[in-house]
Amino acid sequence: MVDAVIEGLKERISAAIKVNQSVGIQVPENRHKDLLQALFSFMNSDANEVWTFVTASNTFKHIFMSFKKVYENKNIKFIDCISRSAGIPIIDTECTYIESPTMLEKIVLEIMNIFKGIEHDVEKFVVIDSLSSLVIYNDSEIVREFVSVLLNKARSFNIHIVTVVIEEEVDAHSLLQMNDKIVVLRDSFIS
Amino acid sequence: MDKEKLCSTGIEELDMQMSGGFPVGSTILVTGCSGSGKTTLCMQYLFDGARNDERGVFFTITEPLFKLTKNVEGFSYYEKKLVESGMVNIIDLRIISERLGLDTEKYTVEDAGALLDILKDIANELDVKRLIIDSITALCYRLQTREMIRDFIFKLGTSLAMMNCTTLLTSEVPPQTYKFSQYEIEEFISDGIIFLGDIDRRGDLIRTLQVVKMRGQAHSRTKFALNISADRGIELMPLLKSSDFDSLLTQKINSSLRNIDRSREKVIL
Repeated sequence: MVDAVIEGLKERISAAIKVNQSVGIQVPENRHKDLLQALFSFMNSDANEVWTFVTASNTFKHIFMSFKKVYENKNIKFIDCISRSAGIPIIDTECTYIESPTMLEKIVLEIMNIFKGIEHDVEKFVVIDSLSSLVIYNDSEIVREFVSVLLNKARSFNIHIVTVVIEEEVDAHSLLQMNDKIVVLRDSFIS
Repeated sequence: MDKEKLCSTGIEELDMQMSGGFPVGSTILVTGCSGSGKTTLCMQYLFDGARNDERGVFFTITEPLFKLTKNVEGFSYYEKKLVESGMVNIIDLRIISERLGLDTEKYTVEDAGALLDILKDIANELDVKRLIIDSITALCYRLQTREMIRDFIFKLGTSLAMMNCTTLLTSEVPPQTYKFSQYEIEEFISDGIIFLGDIDRRGDLIRTLQVVKMRGQAHSRTKFALNISADRGIELMPLLKSSDFDSLLTQKINSSLRNIDRSREKVIL
């Protein structure tokens, strides 16, 4: 069942991201890990793409321990927004650590820096996991502005954006509407 | 303005905000509190110039030479060969003052005149196009009257402008204040003001930069978030506008606290 959901999700994400510049994914908390698995599996499918995964809900260390294969994939770069502010020791120089999830401008700068030297015709993607977590550390108004700035920058540099919102975090729901396409993952099916 | 008459800052985003850079020959006040990035900005400007065949000199008054060098060595823009070849010159002004036999704490009119002459002579001899005094606040502290400060900065600016030398003067101000200088004269003599500040976002301090004034040059007055990294030096990104609410709130709280403190003082008195 889990595998079927993950496969279904991969297909949905793949179809949505190919057509749209930005995709918002709403997921219930208990399926968040499945979504991450689907996303990482999708990222691994094409070595010619470049992905930046911005994590504000799990530390990089936790992701590394949960999804070990991800680390082997050199086309995925990580930005960890929470380890430093939580006082968790930095374990890897491959990951960019942001001092605090309140430093939203720095997140944008680091994303753009990762893509700076990459050729124009290479497919570029960013995942923000998750907007709900950013709303814990920031006012929802400023996160909305952050998404707007990021989407506009991404459009001008031909970067695709995937944003994740946790269903139970009500404050972040309106942020999903800013995307071109919304994918909703429910407990038992995808709509 | 003609691109040839502009002096690139070495910070791409800042150049964009000023249509290409500082007007050549101008005197710019780089003002901010401790830790706001004044010295880093000035050093980046100096090394960028050196890489483009513009010799520069950095006069330090606040920090000993070895400490300053150690700090700047960590940045990717630092190139030892530019220092060794004399394209970048870092000079401790206190040592020069001592060698000139000047009182290092308080300058007389004659002392100030002698110091001004030596600054001009060094700039002339080295044929520098970029000059930095870090900080003008520490220098002004040694000048005893406002008239002396005004006269000193004005004469320095005029002489350097005649040499087509673009000068940055750093100015120290207390944190969380919108003030450009300690003596409130420096900004009127300067052709431009770059204000480096902080905003408080949920307890985290975010560095900011704003071009407040740039005589003879169209420029943006947008507030930027400023990031300092060893790999890339200073980077700018427009500050998210919703931040103003946070900083306004902090200012209001600070001002309310000050009022409470004042009223408390009155009660005690």
